[in-house]
Amino acid sequence: MSISRRTLLRNTAALGAFAGAGLPHIWIKNADLAYAAGGEIKVGVLFSLTGTTAIIEESLNKATLLAIEEINAAGGIKGSKIVPIVEDPASDPATFSEKARKLVVGDKCVSVFGSYTSASRKAVLPVFERQNNLYWYPTLYEGRECSKNVIYTGAVPNQQQDEFVPWLVKKFGKKFYLIGSNYIYPKEENNYCKKLLEKLGGEVVAEEYVPLGHSEFSSVINKIRSTQPNVIFSTVVGDSVVALHRQYKAAGLDPEKMPMASLTTSENEVAAMGGEAAAGHFTSAPYFMVHKSPENEKFVEAYKKRWGADKVTHFVSEACYFQTYLFKQAVEKLATSDLTPPNIRDAVKGEAMIAPQGKVQIEPENLHTWLWPKIAQAKSNGQFEILVEAKEWLKPVPYAAYPGQSCTEKGLVEKS
Amino acid sequence: MPPNVPSSSGLQRLIAQLAPLLIVCAVVFALPVLLNNDFLLNKVARYLVLGILTISLGLSWGFGGILNLGQAMSFGLGSYAMAMALKLKTVPVHTGASGLPDFMVWNNVAHLPWFWEPFRSLSFAIAAGLIVPALVAAALGWFMFRGRVTGVYVSIITLATMVVINLVIIDQQSYTGGFNGITDLAQLEIFGVAFDAYGRATYYLVAGCVLLSLLVAFAFTKSKAGLIVQAIRDHESRVRYFGYDVALYQIFVFALSAAIAGLAGMLYTVVMEFASPTFLGVQLSLSVVVWCAVGGRQSLVGAFLGAVLVAGMQGALSESAAFLETWTLVMGALFVLVVLFLPKGLAGLAQAALRWIVQRRQAPGRGVAQGVGQTEGST
Repeated sequence: MSISRRTLLRNTAALGAFAGAGLPHIWIKNADLAYAAGGEIKVGVLFSLTGTTAIIEESLNKATLLAIEEINAAGGIKGSKIVPIVEDPASDPATFSEKARKLVVGDKCVSVFGSYTSASRKAVLPVFERQNNLYWYPTLYEGRECSKNVIYTGAVPNQQQDEFVPWLVKKFGKKFYLIGSNYIYPKEENNYCKKLLEKLGGEVVAEEYVPLGHSEFSSVINKIRSTQPNVIFSTVVGDSVVALHRQYKAAGLDPEKMPMASLTTSENEVAAMGGEAAAGHFTSAPYFMVHKSPENEKFVEAYKKRWGADKVTHFVSEACYFQTYLFKQAVEKLATSDLTPPNIRDAVKGEAMIAPQGKVQIEPENLHTWLWPKIAQAKSNGQFEILVEAKEWLKPVPYAAYPGQSCTEKGLVEKS
Repeated sequence: MPPNVPSSSGLQRLIAQLAPLLIVCAVVFALPVLLNNDFLLNKVARYLVLGILTISLGLSWGFGGILNLGQAMSFGLGSYAMAMALKLKTVPVHTGASGLPDFMVWNNVAHLPWFWEPFRSLSFAIAAGLIVPALVAAALGWFMFRGRVTGVYVSIITLATMVVINLVIIDQQSYTGGFNGITDLAQLEIFGVAFDAYGRATYYLVAGCVLLSLLVAFAFTKSKAGLIVQAIRDHESRVRYFGYDVALYQIFVFALSAAIAGLAGMLYTVVMEFASPTFLGVQLSLSVVVWCAVGGRQSLVGAFLGAVLVAGMQGALSESAAFLETWTLVMGALFVLVVLFLPKGLAGLAQAALRWIVQRRQAPGRGVAQGVGQTEGST
């Protein structure tokens, strides 16, 4: 193949455009090493905007940005503005790790808000521990982690199940069918559920795990028919939630007799499957969009005004919202010269505020959050109806299923 | 590449072909002097590792004509071999002497499984990271090439095999860490040198492996076996009629390519500080093909640069505020442009440019290409 001068010129021009678009960016260095310079406090916002978990993570990105905008509009933190640096980790653990490094080491962010899946949190953990930075993780998760470099504002198993499982046993019966996606979160939740059932004299008729993204539940539904449980205890996640609910309804099963009890179905999943398929089933979580409190009304209204009237808030986006305010409170306690991630961690210990769900507080021992468990039933209009509200807030116990272990300020302690 | 006669002009041509390789490696080694920033070095090290992976694909696709859509399988196996060894190094520190890796405790595993035991030795792990991918590839190649499977079917089989192994790893979480992968690793330490992911030692380790991989791959393409492999790519049945055992040569290049990918996988674990099932995922595997195509699959240096430049651009674009929402679109458009206007990739463009300059220097009308060996492009 021979290349004429004209082809060559054209090709070179294409290449020039190709290189010029991105490369200069590589060489910009961050000479500015102070954490709060020029009246700006840089924080990272690390939720996927593309890829498989983008739909849910985008709502987390939006809730975080809303809180930052509100704080800045109200004068910032002691006169300093919070500057969010938004990165797109594209639902890929390796990219999560790369972007976390960029935010922590490159941009010198004083904290990063991010992650929905445990896999992505595990991928960035070495970055935060090695650099002694601070990661704010808003999602409910399986517990059993005791890092000094993560603030956990979502629920751990004891906060979702301690009220829920006894209530289900009392209302529907003792036979449970456990169904989950095949990874660590459902397995840990079920470990804890089995412990509770043991105490209550309950019975597990089947424990089953389907691959992530699984969407064919006919064999599961057949097994449900033959075992006739009182409760289907579900920890399937993502698209599988939608498929399971639709196929349950198509099979003609009745939520009044054999409801699904879920730890993962939020307003977001209900919107994806349609209210009809979700109606009648139960979810336990610290927050629902319909919760009545002045703080929540303000949050929902502001969220809709900023991002669109058709948008929903849910138990993970609420945590994103209040954890940003907890960050603000912690920073307020520090002198500008003391602003470092370890100092923010120490300042946030025991810090409390009125969140949309009620008063929340960071537990000094394990950096998890005191929350308000609630039990709600899905309605055909896509919203939930809250049936039970905890009378007291509940302490986070990330090692609740393992009585020999507890997470303390010094780290994980094993006692006999 | 045309076969080299060991004459003085052949030697000259060899030097001319080695020159780009050596220049690129010199730049790679000199970079830490220019970039006085640990974070950027770590980032570049990651791109270099992806470059090694792309060299390995260039070898089997560009030179062997075997489009392996499951190249990330070998990469992932290497990555897990290293992660298993580094995970076991955390045992006395994080878990007590009789302890198990944390994810095994979570999955109620009582004893360390037998196939984890040998990974207490780092030398074993490094050997496994090279040999296991090569053996898996050789076994797969044995079935495919003995059965004279060619073209798109090879791609389908390699892709499917990778997906199967990926699913097994996700499913067997008590032994593999499942969806979360193997995280919370110790630092690699060889002969008392600690390879911190952000340190210069790690960068030079990666850079050394870039040089090694390029030289090994280059030497192979110049060897007799390498020439036969290229002949098979261009006309398989003709080579068979000459009496060569075609399958044997294909199996060899396939396994060599897998071993280089395994090496890249091990380095990736050191640079990223974890191993994940996404390392042997479809997305990465297809990205490698794109990088290879952009760089020029019939040039080892081209494939390497393709990966480094495209992955680097992807990082830079997705980090610039202007492209945060549209970076995937921009990348897609750029790929289409390159494929339309540069069918031989950036390496083809560079060669054409060089030839054009040489022609200009000579008297007009004598349009003979000299100096640079031109690759045969119609496969």
